[in-house]
Amino acid sequence: MGTLFVSGLSHREAPVAVREQLALEADKLREVLGHVMATGALAEVMILSTCNRVEVYGVAGAPAAARALTFRQLGAQRGMALDGLEPMLYTKTETDAVHHAFRVAASLDSMIVGEPQILGQVKEAVAVAQDCQTLGPTLHRLWMKAFAVAKRVRTETDVARHAVSVSFAAVELAKKIFAGLDGRTVLLVGAGEMGELAARHLVEQGAFPIYVANRTWARAQELARALAGTAVPFADLEATMAIVDIVVTSTGASEPIITREAVQRALHLRRSRPLFFVDIAVPRDVEPTVNELANVFCYDIDDLKQVVDANLREREREAQRAEAIVKHEVERFVTRRRDQEVVPTIVSLRTRLEAIRQAELEKALAKLPDASAETRQTLEALSTAIVNKILHVPITKLRESSRAGQGGSWTAFVHELFGLRRDPP
Amino acid sequence: MLNLALIAYVVATGLALAYLVQREEVTYRLTTAVTLAGWALQTAGLIARTVEGGRGPFASFPEAVSVAVWAAVLLELWAERQYRIRVLGAFVLPVVVVLSVSGTMAGPALQSTALHNVWITVHVVLALLGIAAFVLNFAGSIMYLLQERQLKARRPGTFYYRLPSLETLDRLTFRALTLGFPFLTVGLMLGALWTGRFHPLIAFSTVAWVIYAFTLASRAVAGWRGRRAAYCAILGFAALVLTLGAGVLLPGPHGS
Repeated sequence: MGTLFVSGLSHREAPVAVREQLALEADKLREVLGHVMATGALAEVMILSTCNRVEVYGVAGAPAAARALTFRQLGAQRGMALDGLEPMLYTKTETDAVHHAFRVAASLDSMIVGEPQILGQVKEAVAVAQDCQTLGPTLHRLWMKAFAVAKRVRTETDVARHAVSVSFAAVELAKKIFAGLDGRTVLLVGAGEMGELAARHLVEQGAFPIYVANRTWARAQELARALAGTAVPFADLEATMAIVDIVVTSTGASEPIITREAVQRALHLRRSRPLFFVDIAVPRDVEPTVNELANVFCYDIDDLKQVVDANLREREREAQRAEAIVKHEVERFVTRRRDQEVVPTIVSLRTRLEAIRQAELEKALAKLPDASAETRQTLEALSTAIVNKILHVPITKLRESSRAGQGGSWTAFVHELFGLRRDPP
Repeated sequence: MLNLALIAYVVATGLALAYLVQREEVTYRLTTAVTLAGWALQTAGLIARTVEGGRGPFASFPEAVSVAVWAAVLLELWAERQYRIRVLGAFVLPVVVVLSVSGTMAGPALQSTALHNVWITVHVVLALLGIAAFVLNFAGSIMYLLQERQLKARRPGTFYYRLPSLETLDRLTFRALTLGFPFLTVGLMLGALWTGRFHPLIAFSTVAWVIYAFTLASRAVAGWRGRRAAYCAILGFAALVLTLGAGVLLPGPHGS
């Protein structure tokens, strides 16, 4: 059994200039995979290539040589010499490699912890390797488990949950004020790009209808069409505020266009139903003191950024819980992998002794033609007990050795000692 | 059995608070399991009392509190699922424990012969169910105020992430209010009719009733909700607690 390893470079060590060079499209990867496998230096290989990492996962007798071989090939695609890459490469083997793979799939090693794209990229890389038939049982098991771990992390922690962009933070805040966004009404004031983006996110989450106001009537109509909303005259701003739940502003006005008095009047009409202002404009469109009014929540661009920062910190906290899950799963995976190393030996050992027992039992019974059923049963039980007693210690030792990482030498020894046939792994 | 139930509630409170902080799925499941176990024990205990005494378990103050707590836990378990508020236990269970502990400390105050009167039994049962609903109303209001403060301050902290939306909390507290208010109204009327003379108990409970009535009316008329309703809920619950205290500590129909 070869050594499982991962070698590569990522956003942690390698500058973007190197990563963008090495990030290869699927066709080139197939070429490299085919070429590397043809050398016979690797039993299994898979290449993960994204704009943030280029990594080779493989099983090889000599990981160092396999790493040099593969990266020489990868570099050659872009005219990069191995010597230039070497200092940036890391290599992890066995337990550490498993740990690394699980963390990558669970997006714990990402630039923005919890970002969701990486899992899809890993799945794609696995599919490419499978297609090229370079994915053997070890890597297959590794990735199937890594996907399961990633799913566990996603469902059991909030590592990927909280928004890391200003416009999504606004959507999340709306969900902390209102129980769901289905049927919430939105008023978009101004035509700023960020405002439009936030309004779009709100619509995607079920907010409807959406009203659009702009100083230029034609622009309001245009934007309303783009968002499947309704244009309202700029003069009706106050009246519209009375009927919507969320107001997104992003105009180029130099003075606030929504005053505290106007909001107060609107609140009276809406019988204190909550009103949420997302003010993305700089300078601000909504008077800051609006936030002091009961049942009104007003967030400007700085507030939203603060929420994003808090969300990032929350992701980091959740990442710690995710790391614990990953660690636990790595241990389980490695233990199983090591057990698998000795299981065939245990099976053939049992089969061998059982064959001996059967043969000797038959011989003995042939000499005792008049033996009663009771005698037969006693002989049967006696022989079974002897075999089990003899096997107990060797099997325990084999399992222990596998967990200590010495399964290889012990299995060879047992095979030698009992004259077992060596099955291909 | 009732003591075991109380221990279970204390443990569940600790677990619920732990879940609020560290959010482990296991802790949540344990909290639910222990709360359910406590509730089952309490149900069995109350049934045993009823069979033993041949009457409803309201003869002494601790028993009465126990019934209110029993109903409050049932309501909490229901609301937690209905409104999908997994951290609800962290806010309801502490109140449950405080009520239970003060109930047991008050000691077996009276063995009222009055309990043979069916109307009095109805009075007690209704008042206790009302109290249970107001425990939920109170806990929901605390959660509302915490979440509202976070949103107003525009600095998200732990509660921002853990607590549900303001609207969900508003629905929960309003539901609890509309559930508890009729019980309280009829319960108080029966109690007042039967006593027929003044007692601090009546004063406190009337104050509570007025506060709750005001909350409901101002919502219906002026759309008052949110923070103001939450403050009213806290005041109302304080009055209810004083009522219970007056019932035990002062001589009168509920205390010796």
